Amino acid sequence: MLRYVAGRLVQAAVIVAIVATISFALIHVAPGDPFSAVLDNPNVSENVRATLRAQYGLDRPLPEQFVRYVGQLARGDLGWSFSHDRPVREVLASALPNTLLLMVIALVGSFALGILIALIQVARRGSAIDHTLSGISLFFFSMPDFWLAILALLAFTYWLPLFPVGGAVDPVMHEYMGLGGRILDRLRHLALPALTLTVLASPGVARYQRAALLDVLPADYIRTARLKGLTEREILRRHALRNALLPIISLLGLSFPALLTGAFFIEKIFAWPGMGLAVVNAIGTRDYPLVVGGVILGSIMVTVGSLLADLLYAWADPRLRAH
Amino acid sequence: MAALKRKLLLCVLLVFACVGTESPSGAPTGGTLVISTGADPDILMPSLLSSVLAAQITDLVYDRLAVIGDSLSILNDDGFTPRLADRWTWGADSLTIAFHIDPRAKWHDGKPVRSSDVRFTFQSSTDSTLGSQVKALLSNIDSVTTPDSATAVFWFHARTPQQFYDATFLMPIIPEHVWQGIALSAWRGSEQAKHPIGSGQYRFVRWVPRAAVELTADTANYRGAPRLNRVIWSIAPDFNTAVTRFLSGETDFFEQLRPENLPEVAKHPELRTKQYRGLGYIFAQFNLRDPANRARPHPIFGNRELRRALTMATDRSTMVRSVFDSLALPALGPTVRAYPTTDPNLPQIPFDLPRARQILDSLGWRDANGDGVRERNGRPLQFSIAVPGTSRGRVRLAVLLQEQLRQAGVKMDVEQLDLPVLIERLRKRAFDATIGAWNTQPSPGSVRGSWGTVGSRASSGTNYSSYENPVFDANVDSALSSFDLPARKAYFTKAYETIIQDAPAIWLAEPIPTVGYHSRLQLAHLRSDAYWAHIPEWWIPADKRIPRDNAPVATSTAQAESAGKKTP
Repeated sequence: MLRYVAGRLVQAAVIVAIVATISFALIHVAPGDPFSAVLDNPNVSENVRATLRAQYGLDRPLPEQFVRYVGQLARGDLGWSFSHDRPVREVLASALPNTLLLMVIALVGSFALGILIALIQVARRGSAIDHTLSGISLFFFSMPDFWLAILALLAFTYWLPLFPVGGAVDPVMHEYMGLGGRILDRLRHLALPALTLTVLASPGVARYQRAALLDVLPADYIRTARLKGLTEREILRRHALRNALLPIISLLGLSFPALLTGAFFIEKIFAWPGMGLAVVNAIGTRDYPLVVGGVILGSIMVTVGSLLADLLYAWADPRLRAH
Repeated sequence: MAALKRKLLLCVLLVFACVGTESPSGAPTGGTLVISTGADPDILMPSLLSSVLAAQITDLVYDRLAVIGDSLSILNDDGFTPRLADRWTWGADSLTIAFHIDPRAKWHDGKPVRSSDVRFTFQSSTDSTLGSQVKALLSNIDSVTTPDSATAVFWFHARTPQQFYDATFLMPIIPEHVWQGIALSAWRGSEQAKHPIGSGQYRFVRWVPRAAVELTADTANYRGAPRLNRVIWSIAPDFNTAVTRFLSGETDFFEQLRPENLPEVAKHPELRTKQYRGLGYIFAQFNLRDPANRARPHPIFGNRELRRALTMATDRSTMVRSVFDSLALPALGPTVRAYPTTDPNLPQIPFDLPRARQILDSLGWRDANGDGVRERNGRPLQFSIAVPGTSRGRVRLAVLLQEQLRQAGVKMDVEQLDLPVLIERLRKRAFDATIGAWNTQPSPGSVRGSWGTVGSRASSGTNYSSYENPVFDANVDSALSSFDLPARKAYFTKAYETIIQDAPAIWLAEPIPTVGYHSRLQLAHLRSDAYWAHIPEWWIPADKRIPRDNAPVATSTAQAESAGKKTP
């Protein structure tokens, strides 16, 4: 097992290195300049631009910039963010917990909700409830992330003001709240973006889980369970679900990139100060080090997530465990 | 025990804040202003900033020697009011101005403001190592000397009408003792650039990236405490989110409403809107030189009569109404109505589609094959117009322009680009046409760079159309060197008339900035170049305050920051 994990980690490192190289090259060859906004001004001279480019080492040939960047990375330095004027490490470190919080809640929520929906559908398969839930799942599955986010924002913060309009905390009062108040304030701000991301991710889980459950229902051991006199609910919960969960664990690994992408949209709409928001803004401002740093961190999250899912799969499946 | 003390202090502050105080003018103080905004400031350092939000914050934290009047007159010291300088004296030859520093003025860390701070500000701003945007604008100032700690003398190369403006408006004064130990090349990355220490009526408290920036009243300020206890910018990068925050009451103020927001604002009796004259204008700009070879004129736009015909084919009033409703007027030219030097009745090329068609016919551009697009020598009258995809207004204008020109037999393709890509193309002059926008400063002098020969020939010039006309240049130069307002206005009028008739651009729209605010907020005048200039005079009546107005006032953390911690 240790050899397997080590092999996967090496694979992950190679993938991250390739992703970092490609993103470095792509963002640098993209037209535009980190100082475009500064220069879109009739009073700004070319000298200012040259000074800025020299200050940040952008006047060097691209291969030299790349070698320098790799050297920095080897020392654990992700570089200096042009748009934030502080180390990329600091920018990402302040944003990462918010993104992880959103992703983990959405991950747990979407899998719990998706599996529950699938169980209901399979228990009532062929009924109106099954068809209705399938329709609803398909509706949310096909809905663009940003559109649902905007709709949720308007619906639950403006038309029916149950939640605050974005942000991670109340910008005015949070500093002056007690511990309980602060926690409550954070939860109030977290609820809507997390719920939206959950609603977006759960239909995929539900459809996948429903199919997996339907696959195992004709199996001999299910027939045996029925013959033993178990109720349909017990059969589903104790026999079918446990065996149908294995494909879902694979889906868990595949969900990380989708959730990360979804979180980027959600963060922008809900002004959630996470990694996605920082990286999207960095692309617009051509903040090269922050873009590449964000991509590296994102690819690490995805590869580690996939690895964890694989390990979980191996642990859950007795056939693989035996090997 | 420490926690108890903290709670006690908070209680005292809370009571203090709830009750409010009286400002020196007798007006009630207290309350919190929360402004909905779309992006973080870039850097909280006046000579390095480029974002509007950074300008808003630093204008409240830092002071200038004197402040421009609401009329935006930049002639000599007309309309300017004392700020850090309580008085000033012109030299006999008008090549020097001696500013006397208000002896009561102090930095937010308690140290007195001295003339050496003024000299330091000038020297750092003009040092090429810093890469300040204002360096080029300060070229008429030779030096600043300090005969004593309370007097800063500006020495100018030449007597010009706007030398007082140059010395005051362009340079908020920064504290020497805070910055002198930091290498100029490291200023951008310094902690001081994120935690400013100024002398303005508001002091910096905190900046939480992608969330909020907070200022608090400097109650011991030499000009007296401002009326509002706190100003907070609540950051939401998505426009709809920012507007929703305002509509739902989470914020008190929204700085740039769009036409589609107005009906929603009207549904809320507690919300108000207010318009003021802005300093921006939008135009469809033609590249007069061939992008493939700048030595040659553009195969289409090199012809003045053709450009005039395109202008004639454009119903600007209808376009502006369609896109901006009541939030813009047709632009007059490369200027804005807020300038005292702008004649609001500048003659325009009229909308006349039949005449436009006649001119195009006479130039040999005819639709011989009946496909709806004119051709000449086998070349269709077709070009592309580049617009920033993030600007909905400009994209809509481009689409309407496309339809209007289609009726004249001109095929225009709309190309939506990422802003950095568009700017790169403009810099390289690699475009046919673009929908551009300039936000100008109180001085109309920037027209030299954006439309004059100097801006066309310099490699970094922003006259992207490469329009060159010595008559225009001469009139602008005469206007800028004239000390008499009527004469100045007459020269500018001639310059504008010249460029309007030459039509290097179709002057599309002059937006009327429209702010939304909560009715409990009592606004003062919104100045054209900076609506926030009078925020220290805004107030909230005691009986209209809500819980967030009574939140305890935070203390500034800026003083606690040590110098030069992190640099690139």
